[in-house]
Amino acid sequence: MNYPIWEVPIIGGGWLIGIVAVIHVFVSHFAVGGGLFLVLTERKAYRTNDINILNYVKKHTKFFLLLTIVFGALTGVAIWFTIGLVNPQATSALIHIFLWGWAIEWVFFFIEIAAVMIYFYTWDKIDRKTHLIVGWIYFISAWMSMVVINGILSFMLTPGAWTQTRDFLDGLINPTYFSSLAFRTLTAIVLAGIYALFTASLLKDKKVKQTIVKYSSKWVLPFMLLLPLAGLWYYLTLPEIPREIILGGITFVSNTAIVGLIAGALIFFTVLIMGFLKPNLYNTPVAVFVLLLGLASMFAGERVRESVRKPFVLVDYMYSNGLLLSEFDKIKEDGIIKNSKWSSIKEVNEQNQSEAGKEAFKLYCSSCHIINGYNDVKPLITEYDEEMLTAIINELENYQGYMPKFAGTEAEAAAIAKWLVKFNKENMKGEIK
Amino acid sequence: MIDQTMIPDIDPIALPAPIWLLKFLLLLTFTLHILAMNVAVGGGFVAAFTEYFGRKKKSQNHFELSRGIAKMLPPFTAFTITLGVAPLLFLQVLYGQFFYTSTILMAWPWLSVIVIFILAYYGYYIFSFRWEKLNGKRFWAVLISATMLATIGLIYVNNIVLMLTPDKWKAMYFANPHGTHMNFDDATLIPRYLHYIISALAVAGVVVIMWGMRKLKSDEQLGKWAIRYGAWWFLIPTFINIGVGVWWLIALPREFMLMFMGGNQLATGYFLVGLASIFVCIMLMFVGMNASKPIGKIMAAKLFFLITIVTMILMRHELREAYLKPYINWDAVQTEPQWGVIIIFALLLVGGLITVIWMLKKSFGKPAIN
Ligand code: HEM
Repeated sequence: MNYPIWEVPIIGGGWLIGIVAVIHVFVSHFAVGGGLFLVLTERKAYRTNDINILNYVKKHTKFFLLLTIVFGALTGVAIWFTIGLVNPQATSALIHIFLWGWAIEWVFFFIEIAAVMIYFYTWDKIDRKTHLIVGWIYFISAWMSMVVINGILSFMLTPGAWTQTRDFLDGLINPTYFSSLAFRTLTAIVLAGIYALFTASLLKDKKVKQTIVKYSSKWVLPFMLLLPLAGLWYYLTLPEIPREIILGGITFVSNTAIVGLIAGALIFFTVLIMGFLKPNLYNTPVAVFVLLLGLASMFAGERVRESVRKPFVLVDYMYSNGLLLSEFDKIKEDGIIKNSKWSSIKEVNEQNQSEAGKEAFKLYCSSCHIINGYNDVKPLITEYDEEMLTAIINELENYQGYMPKFAGTEAEAAAIAKWLVKFNKENMKGEIK
Repeated sequence: MIDQTMIPDIDPIALPAPIWLLKFLLLLTFTLHILAMNVAVGGGFVAAFTEYFGRKKKSQNHFELSRGIAKMLPPFTAFTITLGVAPLLFLQVLYGQFFYTSTILMAWPWLSVIVIFILAYYGYYIFSFRWEKLNGKRFWAVLISATMLATIGLIYVNNIVLMLTPDKWKAMYFANPHGTHMNFDDATLIPRYLHYIISALAVAGVVVIMWGMRKLKSDEQLGKWAIRYGAWWFLIPTFINIGVGVWWLIALPREFMLMFMGGNQLATGYFLVGLASIFVCIMLMFVGMNASKPIGKIMAAKLFFLITIVTMILMRHELREAYLKPYINWDAVQTEPQWGVIIIFALLLVGGLITVIWMLKKSFGKPAIN
């Protein structure tokens, strides 16, 4: 109600965040798990005195560096940019609540970047023990930055006691904190293996390749077996409503979850058969396929988590459209349009009804419904006339269960209905033609 | 009359720290960001021209230097981002209502920063890792990357200035809500931008001098050459920048210009100290570059240069406060400092710095860059 709305055609801001976030998560979890992979594999190479493994880790370090500190770091900044653009109100709230969480995360980020560069540039230049220590410093600080950020992300869905106490730690260590940390950590380790399988598949020497493929498969398989357990734990720590939604309350959400599970199962069996049992089969196309499956299951996971949060962006604090729950009553009194700093119209009257409806829709509904784009309302309302639409809008929270209460006045509800119903008329004309 | 109604309300959640602390951390981390950025961007341009001169003059010195800079560019680019994230955080918490709004107006150019940065950064890695193989193409590889990074600076300046002028927002947004605006009609924009970019060249010049000082032991001829060469890269941009600075000053709205000329004691004070120290710095640099034992003089010049940069950043801050004065009343901004977490942050920061210094010492014998 405070900020201008950035109009993103077709996909809308929500999807923009989603795309950027999934890409980032896919690389940043690798940045954590891959750190562990590097040090442990380096240690193994020293212990077994295996020059082939050592040469492989060195090559893998370069890939790791180029992917994580360039692409990983910048897609992280990109998330900041997009959430600030699409939902400035929520971004501002999170930054006010968790400023010091982010500041602490930044310290770890700083150590992480320094450590990974030093690790890369000092291969063969410093003694082995120190090099390993630098690797450990990298992994620990990378994981610590996840430890912090995980609190902020899980807070958005399960604010827990924070809602009452407004206490930093209550918000950070919230009901889904530990379960999601376990899930993320396992994901990071599995991803480390999946990426390692990719770089291994590029190796020229057949025998070395098979050794590394087999070794990397062992990174994937056991931890992947644990993932469903962590998933279950996470599920059990969720509040009731999200649980119901996942179990079929909203079809597309449960379908998305199923897609994620199938992708996960495919990864498991591909790696089991072509990586662990018959490592000579693991070529680059297979490796890319498995990476894409990983991306798909990540995507499904993020999507489910985002969906069960509706109608909130910050549960029990702020709706997806930026409206604070605490301001609801105040706004209900004289309406959305009047209370929005960036509305072009200041009141609804006889002459401007349809225009005002369009404006109120933009302010209140467009964070989730893009006209002619994602989650378009037009096909959803073809069955309704103006009166029914007005009634639905006035009781928005009862309609499907994942929309917010309507903070507008009755006149605004009527105005939105008037504007929306025009689309039905257009539709009908189209059909007659 | 200024239309205040468009400015978003301040966030209802109190600031989790005293305002002075947040502003201090903003300025501190921003200073570090700008220094890293100066080496990453200025260094790229210096490398490009050094390549060019090297080829024309068939000079081995130039190529040695180009190779040296090539090694520095990726790490400094990494630290430009890392040290940019921190001021981004403090900027949002302090000035969110201005910053988010102006960002929304220029959303697409703003997002393009990410894409440009990724491309330029990979370009630097290519320049660095394939320095030998690129050979004739080196000039282009580094020039294109540096130009892309410099473009990012331009987009930043657009936004950081637009956030200061809320009276322009309304017309912009209602003309087009799709986030494709820029802010080029602001008269201060170009001189402001040039002032930053040209000083990046000067800072890169100082880095070349430092590189030369390290070379003195192993290759005196090369070291001496680099010190003189770097000094020119410092001196010429700095002279030009004095002119550009004056241009920026006159381009400012009159009341803000006068602020630095006696109107505001603090702002004027910063300005005088800055001018005095750059003057001393230039003198020391002239003496140092020709001296048989240059190190002491150059170190002193470096110190005065740093003082100048800090005063410039403080002036920039006073300017922002002056622009925003009609729109924000700091006394009314609520704070509820979370001292417990602040202390944890401070301890971790100290621990982190010690860790990084330890790693650098262990790896390179002494800190890579002093
Ligand atoms: C090489 C690329 C970059 C260049 C050339 C660059 C350059 C600049 C310049 C010239 C300014 C001053 C703007 C003004 O005062 O008008 C600035 C400010 C800033 N930069 Fe960068 N920047 C770069 C990358 C980044 C990145 C990647 C981030 C964040 C992750 C960042 C964060 C910031 C922030 C937060 C400010 C504003 C600080 C303030 O106003 O207090 N920069 N940058």
